[in-house]
Order: sequence, then C-alpha cells, then structure tokens
Amino acid sequence: MSDSVKILRRNRPGSKAKDFCRWPDQPFEEMDNTLAVQQLIQQTIRKDPSNLVAILKMPEAQEEGVWKYEHLRQFCMELNGLTVMLQGECKPEICTQMTATEQWIFLCAAHKTPKECPAIDYTRHTLDGAACLLNSNKYFPSRVSVRDSSVGKLGSVCRRVYRIFSHAYFHHRSIFDAFEKETHLCKRFTYFVTKYSIISKEILILPNLDDEVPINQPVGESEA
Amino acid sequence: MGTNGNGRRGGAPDDNRRAKLSAFRRPMEEGDCANDMESPELDFVYEDCDTQANEIAELYSYTEHPEFQLNVKAFEDIMELLNFPPSWQRLTENQRRDVILTLMDHLDIADSEIRMRGTRCILYLAQGCWAEMQSDAEQAHWARINIFMLYELGVFSAFVELLNLEVVRNSSTVASRKLTESLADSTNLRVILSVLYLITEHMRTEKENKNSEYSNLVQLFKEELGTPFGDEILPVKLLSMVTHLCAGTSPHFPMKKVLLLLWKILLVYLGGSKELKEKKAVLREKFGLPPVTEDTLEIIKGMRASSPPPSAVDMLENQNPGQRKLKENERSLRRQTFMKQTSLDESDEQIYDKEETSNGSEDYPMEFQSMPLEGAQNSATNDNCTYDVYFKEFDSPPPPPPQPRSLPWQSKVRQKDIDNFLDNVRIKFVGYSLPGDRVTVAGLPQPIHEGIAILKKHMYTSLSEIQLEREMEIARRPLTKGEKDVEQNETEILYRALVPHLPQYMIALLKILLAAAPTSTAKSFSMNIMADLLPEEMPMTMLQSLKLGIDVNRHKEIIVKAVTATLLLLLKHFKLNHVYQFEFMSQHLVFANCMPLVLKFFNQNILSYVGARNTIPIFDFPACVIGEQPELTKECLDIGDSSVPYSWRNVFSCINLLRILNKLTKWKNARIMMLVVFKSAPILKRTLKVRHALMQFYVLKLLKMQTKYLGRQWRKTNMKTISAIYSKVRHRLNDDWAFGNDVDVRPWDFQDEECALRNSVDRFNQRRYGNGTFDIDLQPVDTDINSVLDIIIDLDEEFKDNYELWLDQEVYHNEINWDVLLSS
Repeated sequence: MSDSVKILRRNRPGSKAKDFCRWPDQPFEEMDNTLAVQQLIQQTIRKDPSNLVAILKMPEAQEEGVWKYEHLRQFCMELNGLTVMLQGECKPEICTQMTATEQWIFLCAAHKTPKECPAIDYTRHTLDGAACLLNSNKYFPSRVSVRDSSVGKLGSVCRRVYRIFSHAYFHHRSIFDAFEKETHLCKRFTYFVTKYSIISKEILILPNLDDEVPINQPVGESEA
Repeated sequence: MGTNGNGRRGGAPDDNRRAKLSAFRRPMEEGDCANDMESPELDFVYEDCDTQANEIAELYSYTEHPEFQLNVKAFEDIMELLNFPPSWQRLTENQRRDVILTLMDHLDIADSEIRMRGTRCILYLAQGCWAEMQSDAEQAHWARINIFMLYELGVFSAFVELLNLEVVRNSSTVASRKLTESLADSTNLRVILSVLYLITEHMRTEKENKNSEYSNLVQLFKEELGTPFGDEILPVKLLSMVTHLCAGTSPHFPMKKVLLLLWKILLVYLGGSKELKEKKAVLREKFGLPPVTEDTLEIIKGMRASSPPPSAVDMLENQNPGQRKLKENERSLRRQTFMKQTSLDESDEQIYDKEETSNGSEDYPMEFQSMPLEGAQNSATNDNCTYDVYFKEFDSPPPPPPQPRSLPWQSKVRQKDIDNFLDNVRIKFVGYSLPGDRVTVAGLPQPIHEGIAILKKHMYTSLSEIQLEREMEIARRPLTKGEKDVEQNETEILYRALVPHLPQYMIALLKILLAAAPTSTAKSFSMNIMADLLPEEMPMTMLQSLKLGIDVNRHKEIIVKAVTATLLLLLKHFKLNHVYQFEFMSQHLVFANCMPLVLKFFNQNILSYVGARNTIPIFDFPACVIGEQPELTKECLDIGDSSVPYSWRNVFSCINLLRILNKLTKWKNARIMMLVVFKSAPILKRTLKVRHALMQFYVLKLLKMQTKYLGRQWRKTNMKTISAIYSKVRHRLNDDWAFGNDVDVRPWDFQDEECALRNSVDRFNQRRYGNGTFDIDLQPVDTDINSVLDIIIDLDEEFKDNYELWLDQEVYHNEINWDVLLSS
C-alpha cells in the first residue's frame, strides 16, 4: 500500500501539451471504475494507434455489447478531429450532397424526415446524432452493461459514420491521408465493422488502405 | 380454418356445389338467407386473431398481385449487383447477412428508385422468397427464418424511419396531383407497411411458441415497441396516420395495412387474452382479492346456441305467404299461451311441449334446462321429472350433450347492493339506518340473517371497485394519500402517449368503421378507405369486375375486423390497468356515436354478413404466387373454397362489436337508456339468429340490461328470449332484471351520473397526465425569505417611476398590528 504512490490519471488544469495524458498504463484488472473499458481502449490507442489487433482485442469476460459501444463512442469522438479538418475545405457550396463515389447520394437521417444535406452538414448531423444516441439515458443508461435492444442501434450508426470516411477519401484525399496517417482511424473502423460483421463487405468501398489490416480474421465470430 | 392452398389444384367442384357457391357470391341480396334459417350451429372458436396464414393473406389485396413480381425482380437485380446467384437458398448464412446489410445501406440513398428496390427486395425476403419455393410450407419456413434474421440486423427500426420519410414525402408530392386516389399513390408506403406487418405478425406467432429459439428476439421486439422511434411510439404514429386520412390531408394512405399493423402491434405489445387473464390474476392477488374461477370464453364453449332464432316464425311467414294464415293462428295461440304464463307452475311445461310439437322444430335444451336456484327447492324434483319426459318425447333429433343441471354462472352481488339491502331491511324492521355499518344485524329477523349470509357468500369485488375506492381516497386526502409511483407497464406507457389526442383517435377509428360498414355507401364519405385497393385502370371484363367486387368487400371486412379488434383490445387493457383510463376511452367512444354506429352495423341482414364469402382462395397469398397460375375464369373463383359456412373475420368482428357495446353500457344507466332510445331490441333480436353461443351470449347480455325498460308488452312477446337470457347470462342477486318494472326511471339522474363520472375522469387525467399545473391549494407555501425575495416580478414602468408614492401610502401609512396576527 504505502510503497506505491497513488497515481492520479487526470489532466490537471495547466498541464503542458507534452504532459497531456502522460501517465503510466494500468492493467485492465486493476481499473475499478465504471469507465474501465474506455480507459483501456484509449490507453491502448495511445500506445500504438496502428496496432489494430491489440486495440480491438477484447479482454476476457468483457461484455461484448459494452465493448462495441465503447469503441463506437471512441470512433465518434476521434472523428470530430477529421470533421474539424474537413471544415476548412468541404464547403456546403462545393460538396452540396453527401456522396462517396458519384453513384449515390445519401439522405441525412438526423431529421424527422430524412433529407439531402450537404456533405459537411451530413457529417456534423450524423456525429451529433450519434453522440445523442450514445449518451442517451434511455438507450445507454449504464456504461457497464448494455441492453441487447440498444446494441441493435449501433449498426445504423456505423453505416452512417462510414460514409464520412468514404466522402473524405474520395473528395478530400489529402486531408484524409493526413488524418489517417496520424490516427489509423479508418483502418481501425474497417477492422472493427468487419470483425463484428456490422457492415457488409459490399459497402466497404474504400480500397484496402494497406496490407497490414488483418482482414483474414475469421468473420462472424460474434453472434451480432 | 386453413383455407389457403389446400386443394386449390383439386378437381373442379360438382355443379351442384358450384351453384350453391355462386349463390354465396351475391351476399347482400335479400332473401338468400331464407335457406340459411336452419343454419347449423357455427363451430367458430373465438380467438385473439385468425391463423397466421390467413392473417398474412389478408394483408394483400387481390389488385396488388402484379406487384409481387416486382419484388422478385428487385431481388434478382440486387443479387446480380452483388454477384450472387439469384437463389437465396444457395447462399450461406454469412452471405445472406451481407446481402441484408447491403440492402440496409441502400435504405439511406436519396434516389427513391434505388431505395425502393432495396425495400422491395427486403419485402421479398420477408415473404419467404416464394419464387424459389415449391410449397406453402416451404415458403412459410423460409419466411420465418428470413424475418428473424431481418429483425436481428435492425430492419424493423430502419423501416420505421423509412415510414416517417415516406409519410411526409408522399403527402407533399401526391396531394396536388390528382383527384382520385389509386393503388399507385401508395406503393412505397404499402411496401414498407407490409414489411413491418410481416415482422410483427411473425413476432406475434412466435410469442405463443414457448420454446422458440427466437424468444430473446421477441422480447427485444416488445421492448423496442415501447421506446419511441424519433419522438413518438409506433402506435401513436400509426394512429396519427389514421387521423390524417380522416382529416383529408393525406387521402392516399393505405388504411387497411395501417390498421392491421396497428392492431398487431398492440397485440404483441400489450398482449392478447391470455396475458390479460394472467395480469388480472396477478393484480387480484396483489389487492388480496380471491381469484376469478370462471372464464367466460371457456364456459360459453360448453354452451349450445339457442335455436331456432326467436323470430324465425315471422321470417317464415314473410317468405311463404300461402302459409301465412295458418301461421297467424299458430302465433295467436302462442301469444295466448305466453300471456298465461304468469308463474312457473307445471301446466306451463305442458304448454311448452305443445308448442314445440306444433312448431316441429328441434331441441331447445338451453331454454328449459335450468331452474331458479333459490325458492324452488320443493319443486326441484318435479322439474327433473318434466325434463325427463321432455327429452323422451323428442327422440328424433340428436340428443343434446349432457347439460349441467344448474345455471352456468355463479351469481354475483356487489358490495353496493348488499349495503342497499341492509339499509332497506333496517328501515323496514328497525326503523333507522346505520350508514357505513356492514356488520350489525341486531333486531333483524332470522330469514334476513340468512339472506345476508347468502349475499355475502356471493359477493364479488372487482378490480375497478378497488381502483375507484383508491381514487376516492386520493381525492379526499390528496396530500397524505396522494399518488404513489405509478407502475410504468406497457398499458400505462401507451395511455400516457395516447391521452393528449385520444378523442381524435377515437373519432377517426369510428369514422373508418362507419365507412367500412357494409350498410354504408362509398359516396357518402369524404375520405376514401379504398385508396389502397382501386387499380388505376378499372376492370374491362365481367369477370374482372366480379373479382374487384369481391376484393372491395373483402377489403372492407378486413378493415372492420382490424378496427373492432383494436378498439376492444384497448378497452380491455385500459380497464385492467385503471378503470378511469377505460372510462375516458369509452366516454369518447360514446361521444363519437359509437353506440348507434354499432347498432347500425347490426341493422343489416346479419346472417348473410356472417356467411359472406368475400374471398378467393387461389388468389390469396401465397397460393397466388407459388406454382402455376391459372387464367382468370369463372371456375377459379370457386376453387378451393372451403365448406366452412361462415366467414371467420365477420363473426370475429360481430363478436368484437357486441363486446365493445357491452363494455360501454355495463352499469351505465344513461347508456342503457340510449340502447332503448335507439330501439336496439329488435336489431339485437335479429342478431340472435346467428347460431353461435358466444355471439348470442353477448346479445343476450345487452338485452338483459334493458329488459326493465322495455315494458310488459315486449316481455310478453319475447318470452323465449327472456328464458334464453335467464339460462345463459349471469344473475345478479337482488337484481330483478326481468320483472321489475322500473316505473320511476328518471333520465336526468342518469345524466348526473355521467357528469360525475366525467368530472372524476378529468380530475384523474389532470392529476396523472396533466401539464404539471397542480391545484394551487395543494402546493406547499414557500416561506424561505431568500427564495421569496428571489422571485422576479414584472412591474410596469409607471409603477417603477412612482414606487415611492406607493411605499408611502400603502406601507408607511398603513398600520399593521402584527401582534394580532400572531395571537389569533
């Protein structure tokens, strides 16, 4: 007890950028708070954002619903970074519609009646909608266990979020590449939705970003 | 009642049969029913709904058939796009999941053609990929598998979103386009609603299946129905579609599918009669009441229908004028005999016997088998003798099944009735009343003691009475006894969501019912319930228009079925949950003229309605798409017609309507007077012609409650009906329903009852579901100086400028003796 100094894993006001989130890792078993899963995920990402297998390796005895929920939460949080970068270039006057390849225009589902929003609005509305849903007391009252009926809601969020990636890839490639190089977010997302078969391969229209993504992982090992 | 598919390719029926069947094709013609007068007892069994196959077949109109092919086309297109073979069975499980996930991606696409291709393809999957199937059974098997996979992958909620989209989109585009609506206006909506309905219907069936591998999905589905999609729950969404249609703002809504979906969703969400029974048992136990031992439906199953219909003789006379004279004599004889029947003595039995022989009709088991429980002990043995004689004399008809030698129901009495009785006898024997005392019997003679003991033995306390007592307590002591937490069960959630617009919903549902009633003509109504049936081009040939005619009638019947079932289901659940919820709904039904509407409905040739055959089995889904399709000929209208002599849905609707009417009128004198005023007795009596025990039971109940007001003359001429009521309907001790002449009926008293009830209901709604403005007297007074001073009060400019004047006059120059306030 006395020899281990209590480490506070917190960003105090006034922390320097280089000290931001700089605390030693903690084994998952020792995390005894309700945000343990999020803590584990963020900690693994900080260690090496490109190590997808490690990031998405679910601890044993972890409820799969919570695992998926926390990952999707993390994706949405990090996607805000991409959105900020896109805002400079993706203007409603230029990208008037949400498209990936020119084939189809997508409807923005954030409205009572879905409508054709410009791409950047689609991005913002979708992320806002996702944040609302993922923080809603009704569907996700707890971060320790998630009802099956709420897990079902994650699929449609994933499908919509993926379109943000594809729009960025096909229309704002330089931003996408810069962002991806730093975060490996799209690769991770692709790996995530493939691993849990949330999105069918037909829809994952982005070319394989590189070969290190272990797509050959058995698909459908989860029930959902 | 599996009329679907079975033997549809069987040999043509013989001419005789065909002739008979084509007679049925003119269901509404007068006189047809003459042959049916000796109609056999109907073996109809009342359930929450029909078989799954029939319920699904009723979803589609015959005019929709060409669209089935579009679904296969959509499927083939998609499979080609995805480089799969166009065969669902040959795909692996994972491939199927992939296809569905891809399709769901298409649902977000702005191009409505692509989107609709996706929805059609999903509909095709939900229909069980019939194009690859060889038989009905195979198709049903695959439909089940696919539907649960679709649900698991979130198709249901995605489709509810699509529904929102199409509802708004459609009303803006279609509204201005043309004057008449046709099938084409609602294509997208119909596809979406069909998918939702198929999922719901399969969930409903699966709910019955105790060891289903999908039971967790069924549970999920139930939970999902209770949570809002967007900002409203699905039943509210659907009801608002109904009101929109009635308001004329969205005339193209496919009403039949909306109503069917609404009904099935409520059935899954709230539960059917089985759940109601269980819930009632649990609640009664919770309030310390003894369990209910009698199940209405079960007891009625043991009853036989009364025969022949009470006024059959009159009917016969009208048919055969030649015999009229003879019959006239007979009737006058009958009158005489009935008039003589002033007491139940033995000579009456003989009169009855004579009467039976002269009519030459079959057995009347129910009318005679039961005798009063009390006060007839000494004649009991005699009675039994006469029964024996009676049965021996009528050897020729098949002997009736052994009947219980007693009344089918336990007699009941309410606490209120006991209190009245006690009051009366105390006044009579002791000379004063003891309000509120239910125990003291001092000074009362021994027979009265026995009477009280018997009354108490038969006392039945209903849940409603407990709830009413509780309400009174809350009204009396709102602070200490006030509302505790209300259990948020399904009914409560639904009621809370419905209550702001419940009156409009009721009016809309009744309007639809009126428009769909067989007695009404299409022209007289502003809204069009046929929008999802009429094809764009009217039929060219005789045969096609015959088919369309059947389709129209079938369509209306299905709408009636869905509306009546929905109303009854809601009434039942609200009644169990809280009697004032039930009263609120029934009040609005009465305001919206539900009672005359139901009576109008029964004021038709009810036998032909019950026997109507507005269905063409080979055009029902899935028979219409599996296997080779024959050309439309006269014969194919009859192929596969079952020999069931009644229409399931019509008997079902009739019973629902009668039950609704019973629920509205029970214990409500003002509404019973409405039954009298609207001259319901002859209409109801004609309804008795339908030989079905349950249906007759509800008619008899309705007649029983108004017998008092119908007068001696009516009773004299309707002794058979009275006997039927006596032997089949529950008795209330102390209730002289048959012979008590209610001379001092004071309708204004009844109106007062209604008003008091309305006030109580309004208070209840305001308290539980109001907008938070409570009675100001019940709010605690704020005495904290800080919070009182913190209140922002708007003062006008003039006051602000001259406030010193006010201070001077009102405060400084106004002596207030605070001590007086404290000391007093």
